[in-house]
Amino acid sequence: MASIVLSNVDKIYAGGVKAVNGLNLEIKDGEFMVLVGPSGCGKSTALRMIAGLEDISGGEIIIGDRVVNHLPPKDRDIAMVFQNYALYPHMTVEENLAFGLKLRKMPKAEISKRVGEAAKMLGLEQYLKRKPAALSGGQRQRVAMGRAIVREPQAFLMDEPLSNLDAKLRVSMRASLNTMHERLGVTTVYVTHDQVEAMTLGDRVCVLRDGLLQQVDTPQNLFDKPVNLFVAGFMGSPSMNFVNAELIRTEGGAAVAFAGYKLPVPDSTFADKAGLDQYIGKKIILGIRPSDFEDAVAANGHAGGWVRLPVRAEVTEELGSEINVLFLIDAPPVQHQDTVAAADAGDDEDATLPLVGDKSLWTARVNSRSHVRPGQNIELVVDTHNLHFFDPTSGLAIGHAANARI
Amino acid sequence: MSRTGTRARVRKPRRLRNLGLHAIVVVIGALIVVPIGYGVLGGFKSNQQLSTNPFGLPSPWVVSNYTDVLTSPDFWRQVGNSTFIAVATALIVVAAAALAGFVFARFAFRGRELLFTLFTMGLMFPFAVAILPLFVLLRSLGLLDNPLGVILPQAAFALPVTIIILRGFFRTIPGEVEEAATLDGCSAFGFFWRILLPMARPAIATVSVLAVVNSWNNFFLPLVVFNSPEWWTIPVGVQQFSGQYSTDTAKVLAYVIVAMLPALAFYAVAERQLISGLTAGATKG
Repeated sequence: MASIVLSNVDKIYAGGVKAVNGLNLEIKDGEFMVLVGPSGCGKSTALRMIAGLEDISGGEIIIGDRVVNHLPPKDRDIAMVFQNYALYPHMTVEENLAFGLKLRKMPKAEISKRVGEAAKMLGLEQYLKRKPAALSGGQRQRVAMGRAIVREPQAFLMDEPLSNLDAKLRVSMRASLNTMHERLGVTTVYVTHDQVEAMTLGDRVCVLRDGLLQQVDTPQNLFDKPVNLFVAGFMGSPSMNFVNAELIRTEGGAAVAFAGYKLPVPDSTFADKAGLDQYIGKKIILGIRPSDFEDAVAANGHAGGWVRLPVRAEVTEELGSEINVLFLIDAPPVQHQDTVAAADAGDDEDATLPLVGDKSLWTARVNSRSHVRPGQNIELVVDTHNLHFFDPTSGLAIGHAANARI
Repeated sequence: MSRTGTRARVRKPRRLRNLGLHAIVVVIGALIVVPIGYGVLGGFKSNQQLSTNPFGLPSPWVVSNYTDVLTSPDFWRQVGNSTFIAVATALIVVAAAALAGFVFARFAFRGRELLFTLFTMGLMFPFAVAILPLFVLLRSLGLLDNPLGVILPQAAFALPVTIIILRGFFRTIPGEVEEAATLDGCSAFGFFWRILLPMARPAIATVSVLAVVNSWNNFFLPLVVFNSPEWWTIPVGVQQFSGQYSTDTAKVLAYVIVAMLPALAFYAVAERQLISGLTAGATKG
């Protein structure tokens, strides 16, 4: 086991395309680090550079205490799991697991011990004599994992290992990945484009975009304190609602005004977000998580201080425990490059409505007790303590610690 | 009602068409089977029977024509020569073409496509055109009356098509498998030897069968290269035999029929490989 440190790593392809741009990342010993981002953001390239399958154009990669820049992949002591499994089809499961050990001239007894242990851990014992063609997708995936486990490497590298599985299997494999990591405690770098996977698996998550690091943090911090519009829009499903708004001062204190609504901004927010007071009287981009809404009727008891927002539900998505309410607000959609990029990338659960005039579609996640139906007028309450404010030109979150330093 | 009506209307032309197809198949089959059947039966006749009763069943059945051939050491030597030359050709072709196909399929280097085109151009080079310079070359290399004088040129002429088929197949193997092998500790050649070749077994089988069959049927080159009967292959032997025993037609028929048997047997075993591999190469290459 070892830590992995990337410092100022660049990857420039022939033709001058910069796939990874000055990436600095420190993955601690035993950590589960998830690299997430839309396709083409350089996350797979970064992983393949750690593996040694791609040369790096600049910078330094350190695994453990060795600089591995020019070390061939087999000497880096890492194991990789691929999206399409990449099993050897002419070998049985047992031979697949043992292949890497055999090439490393390990004694036979040790090989069969490790293969046996891995097979037991992954529930593959009864399939050891089968060829991969006779296995289901999930079983093949487990063999691919087993091939990595038996090597007992310093680090696991996983390139979207679950995306070829069907949805249900993916969830259960996610859980077994989690337990496997708990048990083995091996440093793991995991690449995915699925932000739900990123949130549920990662000790920390690294959000990349166009080869640039956006934010590295725990999943909860990414969700609560996104550093910019892109991260805010990319993480979380359904994704955050944005609107161009203005920060104003009224008799009752500060408020944010948009589309005919006025939401008071609590004083604690100003205390949290240093520098936000300088934006009073200026335009900002406001972000509200769908989960910070609630149906006023369903939430009657404990939503006393919350602000009410009368809207008309256009579409409802009933998820059993919750309902996603899609409604239009009377303001043009935010066309900041960051929100557009994030919306393209996120898995689009939102139904696309033909937008009438200059209106934007928002989503509220309310409790299923609400029984709201499409076309109904309902009152939503907003938790104003969790409002997100972004600078309309830079797209950076106002008052975020990481942005204050710059 | 109307539905059954249309169905009946459809069925009639289909049956007609089936009949037509059957007729064509029967005619084509007859074109092939009748001469062979004539040969098989003719081999069981004496020459006198052949002239008096060319189309009937032999009476009495003369077995000596076949037994003579099967007990002749010349015939067995020719079978041995043909087999040896065919197997050696196939081994050389497959070994060389697999390595070349591997490089063409999985390595990116400057001039790769140009080189590959150079190989494929060999396809457009008819063997007969090359026979004279080839003969001169073999003579100066001292390879006349030497099996290598047949094996090496045959292998060279079989290279283009073999490389094309194998490269096409190698390209279908996903890059991740190679990367997984690299991470497991394979060198480039290790990947070729331990992963790629075993995975390409169907394609290897196909090109091997092709090479064997082509070599087995080759007549021109062994005829030119082998002067001494010691190295004659089956096709040359058949030709020489029919020249030598031109009056003994029954014996010639028996010889030809027996000479066909090894090739037929090989086809029967390898036919599936040949067909499936050829189509696989066609769609994936």
